[in-house]
Amino acid sequence: MSALRLDGVTLDIDGKVLFQPLSFSVEPGNVTSVVGPSGSGKSSLLAYLCGILPKEIQGRGAVYAGDKQLTDLATERRALGLLFQDSLLFPHLSVGGNLLFGLRAKQSRAARRQRVNEALASVGLEGFADRDPATLSGGQKSRVALLRVLLAEPRALLLDEPFSALDDDSRARVRSLVFAEAQRLGLPTLLVTHDMEDVAAAGGDVIELRHPQDKQGI
Amino acid sequence: MLRKPPIIILLCVSVIPTSAGVLAALWSGLDPAALTRVLATPGVGLSIASSIWSGVIATGVSLLLAHLAVALAASGGWRARLNGFALPLLAMPHLAMGIGLALLLAPSGVLLRAVSPWATGFDLPPDWLIVQDPAALSLILGLILKETCFLIMALMAALAQVPSAELQLQARALGYGPLKAWLAVTAPLLQRQIRLPLAAVLVFGIGNVELAIPLGPGLPPTFSVMLWHWFTNPDPLINAQAYAGTVLLLLATTTTLAFMAAANTLLTRLLRRTAESGRRRSHDGFARGVARSVLIVGWSTGILAIAAILLRSAAGPWRFPALLPGGDWLSRWLDVLPVAGSVAATTIGLAVATALCGLLLVLPAAERCRRDRRTRAIVGAWLFVPLLVPQMTFLFGMQVLLVRLHLDGRIVAVLWSHLIFALPYLWGLLAPARATIDPRYQSVAATLGATPLRTWFTVTAPLLARSTLLAFALAFSVSVALYLPTLFAGAGRFATAATEAAASAGSGNLRLASVHGLLLAVLPLTVFALAYTTNSLLFRNRRGIPR
Amino acid sequence: MLAGQRTGRLLRVLAASVVLLPQVAAADIDEWETVVAEARGQTVYFNAWGGELAINRYIGWAAEQLRTKYDVELRHVKVTDIAEAVSRIKAENAAGRGRGGSVDLLWINGENFASLQRAGLLYGPWVHSTPNATLIDWQGNPTTLSDGSMATGGFEMPWGTAALTLFYDSQQVTQPLDDPTALLQWIEAHPGRFSYPQPPAFLGTAFLKQLLLVLVEDTDRLQRPVGDDFAQVTQPLWSWLDRAHPSLWRRGRLFPLSGPAQRDLLAVGELDWMLSFNPSEADRAIGQGDLHETIGALHFAAGALANSHFLAIPYNSSATAGARVAANFLLSPAAQARKANEQFWGDPTVLDTDKLSATQRRLFDVLPSGAATPPTPERFLAEPHPSWTTRLEQAWLERYVR
Repeated sequence: MSALRLDGVTLDIDGKVLFQPLSFSVEPGNVTSVVGPSGSGKSSLLAYLCGILPKEIQGRGAVYAGDKQLTDLATERRALGLLFQDSLLFPHLSVGGNLLFGLRAKQSRAARRQRVNEALASVGLEGFADRDPATLSGGQKSRVALLRVLLAEPRALLLDEPFSALDDDSRARVRSLVFAEAQRLGLPTLLVTHDMEDVAAAGGDVIELRHPQDKQGI
Repeated sequence: MLRKPPIIILLCVSVIPTSAGVLAALWSGLDPAALTRVLATPGVGLSIASSIWSGVIATGVSLLLAHLAVALAASGGWRARLNGFALPLLAMPHLAMGIGLALLLAPSGVLLRAVSPWATGFDLPPDWLIVQDPAALSLILGLILKETCFLIMALMAALAQVPSAELQLQARALGYGPLKAWLAVTAPLLQRQIRLPLAAVLVFGIGNVELAIPLGPGLPPTFSVMLWHWFTNPDPLINAQAYAGTVLLLLATTTTLAFMAAANTLLTRLLRRTAESGRRRSHDGFARGVARSVLIVGWSTGILAIAAILLRSAAGPWRFPALLPGGDWLSRWLDVLPVAGSVAATTIGLAVATALCGLLLVLPAAERCRRDRRTRAIVGAWLFVPLLVPQMTFLFGMQVLLVRLHLDGRIVAVLWSHLIFALPYLWGLLAPARATIDPRYQSVAATLGATPLRTWFTVTAPLLARSTLLAFALAFSVSVALYLPTLFAGAGRFATAATEAAASAGSGNLRLASVHGLLLAVLPLTVFALAYTTNSLLFRNRRGIPR
Repeated sequence: MLAGQRTGRLLRVLAASVVLLPQVAAADIDEWETVVAEARGQTVYFNAWGGELAINRYIGWAAEQLRTKYDVELRHVKVTDIAEAVSRIKAENAAGRGRGGSVDLLWINGENFASLQRAGLLYGPWVHSTPNATLIDWQGNPTTLSDGSMATGGFEMPWGTAALTLFYDSQQVTQPLDDPTALLQWIEAHPGRFSYPQPPAFLGTAFLKQLLLVLVEDTDRLQRPVGDDFAQVTQPLWSWLDRAHPSLWRRGRLFPLSGPAQRDLLAVGELDWMLSFNPSEADRAIGQGDLHETIGALHFAAGALANSHFLAIPYNSSATAGARVAANFLLSPAAQARKANEQFWGDPTVLDTDKLSATQRRLFDVLPSGAATPPTPERFLAEPHPSWTTRLEQAWLERYVR
């Protein structure tokens, strides 16, 4: 795994710049938190990194995974795993179907199913493969969403406030699961959040999105 | 956004023939000599007048009933069931409804048979001028039954765009009865949204032949029926009258539309004044009861019309006052089966082709417009244009062009004409459906490595499946019901259920008309039933997909 | 069409109308073989009125026979009024389509034929080189040579002949009513039980012409073109109608739209009368269970309006050989006998049974004939000059459309 590097990344809506240009690096296995008031463009930053910015927002600056520049690639070639606040499990596929969708490995069907089952077992969701995603609890959905992203073998993990919809119990557990997996797989992780507990648990660098006029943060 | 290829193709298919047709009709029809002859025809003034008043009255009453229906359903919590009620009547082609009503309401029809002679003392059918009355009341009734359902659907679609539930709740909390709350708060918001469907209803009301042939006045007929007779007359002078007449029809329709727009503004103002009056009308139980009864009676009439068609198609010598036809009805049905068989094949083939081509045109364009509300609205409005022009006007013109291009009588021309009428409905159903799918699913799929094409097939399409099936059924029904386009573009060569029903109803042969009318009614209902069943089976083990 | 061609056609029309008794020369038989060979595999779009199930079925039977015997595909294009097809041919002519027209064979007569013939839009003359044409009763049935005072001239082939017949419910009509005065009295005594199809529907106009021919004294005047004395000549007709209308069905404010429509109304009991050009229509309807059994039939004693109907081929047909083969088949004794059989259609034949062989004649002898078929009329009345038709229809509309 290589580091995720941003170089002069900034966003603007109709010429209005959202935040001062960002240039930083996230080492493999580390979690860097991005904080800022609501509307400061945190989620849009992740969208820009993935290449899914809505057309009203313009983005500039380069993104690298190691030496490979990602900004020229189409979204589906960037291999950046994105986790939203809503788990966004495809409602028409089963839990296992969702995971198979994400699974990159080109193996036989049986082998792929095996991997999916193993993944589910590893997070305590054994036997959930044929379940309807709508029947899962919030915490369960988050775990499945995480598995889906990880099975896609991403270069880095981008987390867009993925824990804020969970109740306190699940929150802590899912959070530690995500960070543990990130570290285990050596994935550079970028966490967007407004919750200071998350920042503390991440334990890595903290980037504050500053409005262009600010000299210091709020 | 408008310049993207799928959208351009979509608009070209619809707008170009329509404009060309209208221009050709104007060019052929602006002939002073022919216009003079038209205006000198005995009864022409009454004919035009009856067309206009039947259209206006039917539109007004349908609007009122539609609002009442949706208001009652919204406050009573049975909005989903309202769809189910309106659908059979909506899916039934106009011609079938017309024939059915004629068979139901005539002095020798099912209603009077049911109560004679025990309640009425009639041994012979009374000589009452009910159906085809000069005041066009039976025509207006037929229009109301169909257009109310259409407007209900339009209102329901508009309702999705408006936070009606919250607003209604607010008004109720302030002490307003449900009907008054609806009128004061929700109706004005919806009126803006349904301007185009309402205009289409008015245009159809004025210019239709499908209901006017079986139900409209006879002496003189409504103006569009008069034009229909003139168009098929061999005398070239009379043909020229037909073209001149379509110009008059266009003029009458446009003028009435302008008045309707003014009336709409007045109506909104009136509603605002009612809202500001502060009168609560919280004890509207009686009014609601009346409204509910009217709606139930109307709906039952529509359903009974289908029953009337069924009975007449099986009947031989069916003397009044017998309620059920005697004789061997099964063999009479089997008798007409071979004839009905080939007609059914043509009708179904054409309808399936229309629906499939329509889907092929609309889905890519809807995909392009999924995030652009303004473009969706613009495309939707443009696709509606053919419905805002009297069919007869632009079809006459289109036929002149088709003959010159040697395309008349070809299946391509007929298919194209059917597409023009199916596209607005397909768009109206699928564009919003596509737009309401959470865009983040697409993003998620992309980040997981799926190409746009793979994403469409594996994520978007399944989520659109239910709407697509309904859209298919809708386009199918539209195609089955089309009469004038099949007649003109097809140069009379294609015998569909609609052309056969119109030909028989046009010569007053109700026995034959009921046979074709039955086919006409059964086909869309079957396809809708199939679509609904498939929809309920599809993804039945997935709760996360909205129905 | 070029002016020269049109003149040529007119000359041929005039020439053909002089010939009264056509004969098929020996050389023509070879020509016919070529026509039959050319017709193989052709599709013939036959534009014919489709408002009567029995007729549609008969045409379906003919199509089946043509397919198996001659490899000709006959497609029945059902029209509400043959005027639709006429206007289509004219539109094609206006658009310059001299070939590949959409109509190959037409079931036509009267004003529609006259209109196409005057414009030179018909193929032909072709009738006299059709083998079965020699069997037609040209001499005995004058309506085969002259269609509403316009000579058929070999441009249209007689297909069937008819006399206007009035059918009634014999339980309601108990005494003979074979003149207009008696009929009027019955109408006034039974309000709401009589009507006639609305002009310009074919049978409606025919009823007007029938009344006119019987009410007017100087019927020769009607064989000449209409003139300024129209109002004067037709006065007896309007007096009769003015008296009858208030007692008609729906008080004369609505009329049945066609013959079959009126038959429908008779079947359900709204009316006691119906009109038809087909004398065996009621029998056939009763046999098929479309009408109850107590039906009688009558002609006016002063004479019944006679009318033949024909087959014609448009100038721009792409399947003239197929159309001619189809027409020849429809004229064959077997097809004519089936057509005259009231179980199938009941339309009287145009063939002269004297010209047939013994076996062919037997086909006609064994035709069933029921109680509701009237005897042959004592007098056949020829149609008035076609110019009267349009004037009558116009005058009726002006008078009775409010």
